[in-house]
Amino acid sequence: MSVAELKERHIAAKATVNGLRERLKQRRQALLDTDVVGYAKSHGKTAISLGSTDLVCCRTMQGHTGKVYVRIAELEKPDVMRKYRGKDVSNDCLSHNAHKKKCVKLSWFAAKVYSLDWAPERNRIVSASQDGRLIVWNALTSQKTHAIKLHCAWVMTCAFAPYSQSVACGGLDSACSIFNLNSQVDRDGNIPISRILTGHKGYVSSCQYVPDQESRLITSSGDQTCVLWDVSTGQRISVFGGEFPSGHTADVLSVSVNSSNSNMFVSGSCDATARLWDTRKASPAVRTYHGHEGDVNAVKFFPDGQRLGTGSDDGTCRLFDMGTGHQLQVYSQQHDSNDNDVPIVTSIAFSISGRLLFAGYSNGDCYVWDTLVAEVVLNLGTLQNSHEGRISCLGLSSDGSALCTGSWDKSLKIWAFGGHRRVIHSLH
Amino acid sequence: MTTRRMRREEEVGAMGTTEGRSREEGEGRPPSRLPIPRTGDFLGKHRLSAAINRLDQEIHSLQEELDKLDSTEPSSAACKEVLVSMEGIPDALLPVTRGPEIAAWNRWFERVRSSHGHKWWQKGSDFS
Repeated sequence: MSVAELKERHIAAKATVNGLRERLKQRRQALLDTDVVGYAKSHGKTAISLGSTDLVCCRTMQGHTGKVYVRIAELEKPDVMRKYRGKDVSNDCLSHNAHKKKCVKLSWFAAKVYSLDWAPERNRIVSASQDGRLIVWNALTSQKTHAIKLHCAWVMTCAFAPYSQSVACGGLDSACSIFNLNSQVDRDGNIPISRILTGHKGYVSSCQYVPDQESRLITSSGDQTCVLWDVSTGQRISVFGGEFPSGHTADVLSVSVNSSNSNMFVSGSCDATARLWDTRKASPAVRTYHGHEGDVNAVKFFPDGQRLGTGSDDGTCRLFDMGTGHQLQVYSQQHDSNDNDVPIVTSIAFSISGRLLFAGYSNGDCYVWDTLVAEVVLNLGTLQNSHEGRISCLGLSSDGSALCTGSWDKSLKIWAFGGHRRVIHSLH
Repeated sequence: MTTRRMRREEEVGAMGTTEGRSREEGEGRPPSRLPIPRTGDFLGKHRLSAAINRLDQEIHSLQEELDKLDSTEPSSAACKEVLVSMEGIPDALLPVTRGPEIAAWNRWFERVRSSHGHKWWQKGSDFS
């Protein structure tokens, strides 16, 4: 076949694809006889009422803050200068009572938090920050149990393993590093890497262990693929997308594994779609979810494992039905039409029943959406002790009793219900 | 990426067409220049074939999806399931929830001693 004939075939195939996409869009539209709000309101549902003191910030955790007083004369010595390079020097010249010599206060602050993950047992969290460290916290006591200095400082994601013995992280090094928390520390006091998962051709944006499988990890990448890894051997088991058909056509930013059926996971991408994958059959994607008008930064399965939530650069969150692909609900605030800076959704999580959807935004807001009526019932960003910067990540504890938010203000916060709780018991 | 690839394919395709015209015009006369290697033509065909294959696969999966929609329930069925799935699940973050209430939900407000100091957290206090 000549080039000219091939070109004609290409043009015809493109036209067929566009035609089918349009028909699909119209057919889907015709099947949307209601959304969640329409259905819920017709069944008498009204918004949850949350007062401004109901969800309380009960912990603030900031890593690697510190201060030291250094005598001015000492400050000029090269080894002291090296040790405290990059630290902020206070403008005050303080007098230290004990030595009666002039001192300055050097203080250093934690770096932006980029990612967090709760351990499956209830109280521990791993966080990743801009200073190239993973910190493991006991969220109940606010104490750090481990601080891991990473070889590659550009970390974007972290995850706790199912039995809480290991943590994983990944970022601009295009690899995923695994650390065993029970390892002996090396001479410098660092936990050594126990495994490094290499193979991605782009940054690792997100990682999550398969529930109850300590040796199975799923990563998403800027190379447009997701990968299922065998952590014990470091080998790729399956690649989702890339050269295989119906993969994402742009960077993949997030993954969420279905805890009701761990063979299924969903990914969100810069191609404005979310895609459902079956780990037993890597290609093609089981379903593609269209609707967003910007990068899909966050994906999370709904608690019943049959729906999925997404958060996007278009400023909205959406709820999709996993099996049919229907877009069931859009969660979006009205903005002025002149306002070009609609805050983007960076992260989402559902409460354990699914009634609440927590969404973190680039402007520091953290909306609590009532998923049934699509109303914001609380904004954690305006409460006492709220974050002062972008919410970069959030997640719910395994028993659903607390939400942890991480921010570019360099702190993590724990939120729990501190109001009066009314418990309804079933009548027999 | 797709746009850049298609533009390149068009450029390569145009090269092949121009070459063909030159040969027709020059019939009966010796060529005024050395024959151009057909590598560009081959690459153009190869890329076009690959692109057509990808489109064919997409047509196939779009058609499958359309066929599936014929027997797909409308969204109201899924909306009902969303409502039903929430009932009966105790949720610590709701002001009104099904029981049983788990005592551990309130651990965030119990007195916990930090070994770094003497911080205590209590319900209703101002924390930091």
